[in-house]
Amino acid sequence: MKKDINKSAEIKLLITRIVVYAILIFLAFLCLFFFYLMIINSSRSNAQLKGGFTIIPGGHFLENFSNAWHDGSINIPVGMKNSFIVAICSAVLTTYFSALTAYGVYAYNFKLKNFVHIFILAIMMIPSQVSAVGFIQLAFKFNLTNKLWVLFVPSIAAPVVYFYMYQYLQATLPLEMVEAARIDGSSEFKIFNTIVLPIMKPAIAVQMIFSFVGSWNNYFMPSLLLSSADKKTVPIMIAQLRSADYSKFDMGKVYMLMLMAILPVMIIYIILSKSIIKGVTSGSVKG
Amino acid sequence: MAEVILKNIRKVYPVQDYGKRKGWKVKKQATEKQRRTSHLQITDEGVVAVQEFSLDIKDKEFIVLVGPSGCGKSTTLRMIAGLEEISGGELYIDGALMNAVEPKDRDIAMVFQSYALYPHMTVRENMAYSLKIKKTPKEEIDRKVNEAAEILDITDYLDRLPKALSGGQRQRVAIGRAIVRNPKVLLMDEPLSNLDAKLRNQMRAEIIKLRKKINTTFIYVTHDQTEAMTLGDRIVVMKDGFIQQIATPQEVFDHPSNLFVAGFIGTPQMNLFDAELVLKDGKYYVETPGISVELAAEKQERLKAHDVKPQSVTLGVRPEHLVLADQGIAGVVDVSERMGSSCHLHMSVNGKDAIVIVPTEGGIQDYVGQTVHLSFDGKVAHIFSKETEKNLEY
Repeated sequence: MKKDINKSAEIKLLITRIVVYAILIFLAFLCLFFFYLMIINSSRSNAQLKGGFTIIPGGHFLENFSNAWHDGSINIPVGMKNSFIVAICSAVLTTYFSALTAYGVYAYNFKLKNFVHIFILAIMMIPSQVSAVGFIQLAFKFNLTNKLWVLFVPSIAAPVVYFYMYQYLQATLPLEMVEAARIDGSSEFKIFNTIVLPIMKPAIAVQMIFSFVGSWNNYFMPSLLLSSADKKTVPIMIAQLRSADYSKFDMGKVYMLMLMAILPVMIIYIILSKSIIKGVTSGSVKG
Repeated sequence: MAEVILKNIRKVYPVQDYGKRKGWKVKKQATEKQRRTSHLQITDEGVVAVQEFSLDIKDKEFIVLVGPSGCGKSTTLRMIAGLEEISGGELYIDGALMNAVEPKDRDIAMVFQSYALYPHMTVRENMAYSLKIKKTPKEEIDRKVNEAAEILDITDYLDRLPKALSGGQRQRVAIGRAIVRNPKVLLMDEPLSNLDAKLRNQMRAEIIKLRKKINTTFIYVTHDQTEAMTLGDRIVVMKDGFIQQIATPQEVFDHPSNLFVAGFIGTPQMNLFDAELVLKDGKYYVETPGISVELAAEKQERLKAHDVKPQSVTLGVRPEHLVLADQGIAGVVDVSERMGSSCHLHMSVNGKDAIVIVPTEGGIQDYVGQTVHLSFDGKVAHIFSKETEKNLEY
């Protein structure tokens, strides 16, 4: 009798595991299949691509790379450089200033503190496209087009990142630690830079990835504000290749450029993902 | 090493700030009900967390602030540290007025209950942090950190992160971080509360040793009366924001100034009986059903000096001072707790709970369910006014 109970429990466990693994494999497949498809497609010629879908790689990888690299209408190294400047500056500014704001609201008591918090959160409800109209008008009026900094300076104000940082601080930063640093003789700004920021590393890493990827892939604002060739970012270049006329249109080239475009994002992810997993605050306070 | 003087210190929190912590519906003024139910005084200014706090702490003295939760002891310590604004009164450290001085400029160090170690720094970096900020030369930092680590026996852990340490080790590091600066005043806010009972006893002994080694002014906050009794040169007993008594541990134990102190200091708690203070032939007697005891000569003198009239009083006798006798206060034993060297008898006396400690030499008798009689000596009786709850001798 007892043996039967154990056996049925084992079977139940096995079935559960099979179902869980099946779901995970399916989800992993959904995530990775499109990357695979892009890599395959970047190795196929335009004619092969027009021929239809396949999962077998083609033999035109280097040719596509060369075509893309030497395309007269775009300058990939410049595009990469521009995209990198915008993305890295956005990521740094967004995370640093959002963490600073969140810390200010979390750690200090001042009048209208709650109002400030709610006001910042309320901004999240305004779609970015709505505020973009005004921003673009402003940029044109002040002749700020074709300048890369116009794309990353506004990222200082990021309500979503602020909210994330605020939540993270609530969960991880005991105010006693700040008080200990004050008694140790640290200035308020130094406390933020030397104590709070390192504790927030995992949150900063997560938001840096999101912000970097968001800026790297951003097409909307750069397409409206950047027109000169030396300021274009990678997404504009991909769009430019796609919109080429029929005689010049090469799908292999487009896929190759897309592949090149995602490489920096993947590298950044690999670098920062370690910090996300690391829980740096464990052991600082009781519990 | 410094003298600390607190003159009529007050701390008032706005009702909104205090109310939020209490989960009240926050308004600018407290409602009648909130005023009634709060144990702290609520004025139009706000909630008074500490008031009329005056204390002269001598150089190198070990002062312990003790009291139940919410009595204002931590608030007082935080005001000394500069982490809370002082609403009224004056604070002097080493002769200088410190009310508006920033924490970093007070030359104090503080040990927190939750250790508050910097998690991303090693033990060495944690301890060296304040010295680095002061731009102390590296060799001196190393020397001071090593010295402090040796005192606290944490030399082996200097290159570890706080997460790799046990609770006791973390607390040692927190103390090390404080003493490495050689502060004028060392503040400790319930530093042992997070440790288990065994480690707490160990660390208590460590603090006594540490005190001899570093020889500075200590201000220590605790709710644990054992810590207060064992560590302090003087104890400040607090309740509801007011000082109840300032005295040496033995004085507080032997001569509690009021019912609260009598009940708070001493384990098990002092027994309290309804009694009558009577004057017969010029001598004071305390009478409670079953017994009439003449008070000791020094008590007689003190009561006479205050011209205390015969009246209904609360009689306090510590459990260890009650003895089983043939005649005396009668009570039925409900529970008998065997503690090894003694036995605690919990009993009902005229509907009130009382405890008596009986030595277990010569075997333990099972008293449960039996009626026993209690007696006491006139030296150990504490007489409290029923009206003011103050000790009538003082």
